Amino acid sequence: MLRITGGKIYDPANGINGKIKDLHIDDTGKFVEVVAGGRTIDASGMIVFPGGVDVHTHIAGGAINFARAMTPEDHRRTQAFIRTKSRRSGLGGMAPTTFATGYLYAGMGWTTVNEAAVPVLSARHTHEELADIPIVDKSTLTLMANNEIMLDQLEKGEYERAKQVVAWYLWASKSYGLKAVNPGGVTAWKWGKDAKQLTSPIAGYNSLTPGSIVTQLARICDELGLPHPMHLHCNNLGAPGNISTTLDTLKHLEGHRAHIAHSQYHAYGGDGWDTMCSETVQLAEYFNTHPTITTDAGAVIFGDTVTITADGPWQHLLYELTGRKWGNLDVENETGCGIVPYTYRPSNLVNAVQWAAGLELLLLIRSPWQVFLSTDHPNGGCFWRYPEIIEMLMSADVRNESLKKLPDRIKGKITLPEINREYTLYEIATSMSAGPARALGLTQKGNLGIGADADLVIYEEDKNVARMFGHPRYVIKAGEIVIEEGDIREAPQGREFLVKPAYDAETDEFIRPLFEDCYTMSFENYPVEFERIEHAEIHECRQP
Amino acid sequence: MGGKVTCTLGEVKQRADFIVYWGGNPAECHPRHFTKYTIMQKSKFLPRGRKDRTMVLVDIRETKSAKAADIFLQVRPGKDFELITILRALVKGRRVTDEAIAETGIPRDTLEDLIRRMKAAKFGCMFFGMGLSMTRGKHMNSAALLTLAAEMNAFTKFVAMPMRGHGNVTGADVIMRWQTGFPFGISFSRGYPRYNPGEFSTVDILVRGDCDAAFIIGADPGGTMPQPAIDHLKRIPTIVLDPHITHTSRLARVHITTAPQGIAAPGTAYRMDEIPLPLKPALKSPYPTDEEVVRRINEAIAELPFWIPDDGRPQMIMTTG
Repeated sequence: MLRITGGKIYDPANGINGKIKDLHIDDTGKFVEVVAGGRTIDASGMIVFPGGVDVHTHIAGGAINFARAMTPEDHRRTQAFIRTKSRRSGLGGMAPTTFATGYLYAGMGWTTVNEAAVPVLSARHTHEELADIPIVDKSTLTLMANNEIMLDQLEKGEYERAKQVVAWYLWASKSYGLKAVNPGGVTAWKWGKDAKQLTSPIAGYNSLTPGSIVTQLARICDELGLPHPMHLHCNNLGAPGNISTTLDTLKHLEGHRAHIAHSQYHAYGGDGWDTMCSETVQLAEYFNTHPTITTDAGAVIFGDTVTITADGPWQHLLYELTGRKWGNLDVENETGCGIVPYTYRPSNLVNAVQWAAGLELLLLIRSPWQVFLSTDHPNGGCFWRYPEIIEMLMSADVRNESLKKLPDRIKGKITLPEINREYTLYEIATSMSAGPARALGLTQKGNLGIGADADLVIYEEDKNVARMFGHPRYVIKAGEIVIEEGDIREAPQGREFLVKPAYDAETDEFIRPLFEDCYTMSFENYPVEFERIEHAEIHECRQP
Repeated sequence: MGGKVTCTLGEVKQRADFIVYWGGNPAECHPRHFTKYTIMQKSKFLPRGRKDRTMVLVDIRETKSAKAADIFLQVRPGKDFELITILRALVKGRRVTDEAIAETGIPRDTLEDLIRRMKAAKFGCMFFGMGLSMTRGKHMNSAALLTLAAEMNAFTKFVAMPMRGHGNVTGADVIMRWQTGFPFGISFSRGYPRYNPGEFSTVDILVRGDCDAAFIIGADPGGTMPQPAIDHLKRIPTIVLDPHITHTSRLARVHITTAPQGIAAPGTAYRMDEIPLPLKPALKSPYPTDEEVVRRINEAIAELPFWIPDDGRPQMIMTTG
């Protein structure tokens, strides 16, 4: 039992904007009206937020573990967590180790994270890694938009069959929702090709196009009643002029729910690297007129990182552009993955446009319920640098200072210098917590109301915003104080959220022969056993 | 140079119309590999199976795998790195002298024919074994081949993959990486993971006599390591967990018999392409599993005073290498 008294509460889910109010937490780790006894934290003069929720991050599984193997030089120059009686050791950096990931997220007040890309074939591995990430609650999204068994059904016009197959795969991987990455493009990459035009047939198919995959998968997510809509990484990521692809994709989604991942990478004009410019005004306008679609920024922070995506063809291009290390892992029938270490430099024109575009989207999309704080960790930058982005959102002066580092040639290519908006604390709380929780359909998160999970963060008010958000005074997870005075006190095990969408009983026997044709493990061994998920919590699907 | 361009084995089964084995002998060392995953499989893209695929073997001698190959290239011992480097140059149309080619023991025409076939392939895969990775040049050989595969993607789809042996060594790699950032050769002596193969690898620590106890699970260093390492294992308290009596158990102070993984103990094994496979025991064993023994040892250690003094040291530091 715990009471937090006298704090200034920012709870956008309940419309509370800076009111001084007491919070009460019971023994089950939920907010209640009142408790008797237990500890009291005097939060007078402090700021209380719901715990952060990361809607899109890459922290566990084959891809990030590949990245860890590829970047030993980074592990040698980074933060190290030293073993104590209650805490395991680990390393931070561009691709933090599992235990460190939990400590770093909790250490800046984030308590729920969504691992946004899981191939089913290695989902068992992803869940094993997640079990080694302490403190935070977790969910995963299954990669589906290049699954050939499913694509073959769409090609044949068997929509209902495809829906059954999707539901079967989601339960087989014990995930929380569906991720679509470069629909059709990753499967084309298996022949060294890509899919950039939404209306052209995909390599290896006669009539199936990326546009039709996008529309049908969004409909499948809606009809299965998944708590989180289709989570889409659009075609043509990172390419100059890709704004037309992105807007075209959004048109294919009309009438459906959707979450557009890391939209910064999909908002460029120009026709080559020299002429590339930001087209965030157009994209933000679309979001401002379509309030049911959400996105996360995928903001870029200058410095070193490692890029990881299921978008294999893009990573081959990035390797050719940079000449740096290149990892690639194509996953049979399902998806692919590419890894390239990368340094974003303010002096590089393309990087400068990317940096500005991420902030522009966060500032030009008016409702923080629609655009969420993310760097697409580790792609645009590491998650533990979020406080730097918060500082830039809250201060036009800080942004203007950073703009001075950009090359002169940036003039006319970005909109950022003309934007004066500054986020309020209420808007930050929406974009980092209440908004992403709502988009994920996690009603008990990002919320300080009665009955919600008691995940919250308490900051000491500080004019230095980056310091304030980087070093909370207390972090409380499910009613337990995990960070106090800057130290990790406890490292409890978080939960994992999953869904069990309904599918026809005969789907198993339908998939079996197709499976045996293209996979190399036995069908019975493929689905992840439910018993293997530590602290699993099944969320309901609400079919329309 | 660096990284790895690879795929899961099902991709090879489905798509690879051009397969190279370099310094490996799958016919004898991975007896199910050809039939389950590679040259013998039919697929929707390669409906005639073996007839739709070309297999090349590169090795210093004609092993049993050569019988399965369409093309056998006998490279001169110790010249693998040179041969790969020449291929990287020829692929890009660079000039290579006759003397350099002569040193590899393979005629220029053969190499040019090989490159033509590589570029004409739709999906090429190179597997490499210990004949490449454990001979002179070691990791530089592996890096060169991985780079050749990466560079081939400028022309067509190409991947590469090591042929790994020994039980679940891949699984140990994978887990060490997610917990510590490194695959092996890790020291925790400062309370956090540090990596330096050659300094912190097991054999180096033993040969230098740096450790004062050894705890060995599912391995038999007593049968494979150099004599000075074995001598040190004899000097210190060595504890072995193994279903069998091994060379190491004979020199250990304590041997604990455990249930064999996958036969009488459940768990997960990682295949050589890092795909996790669940192990379902077929038999019961009177012995405890490795996991149970380690858990009980851990619980007993937890009863003792904690070994790092709680003297207000920082929880997190910046490493400097």
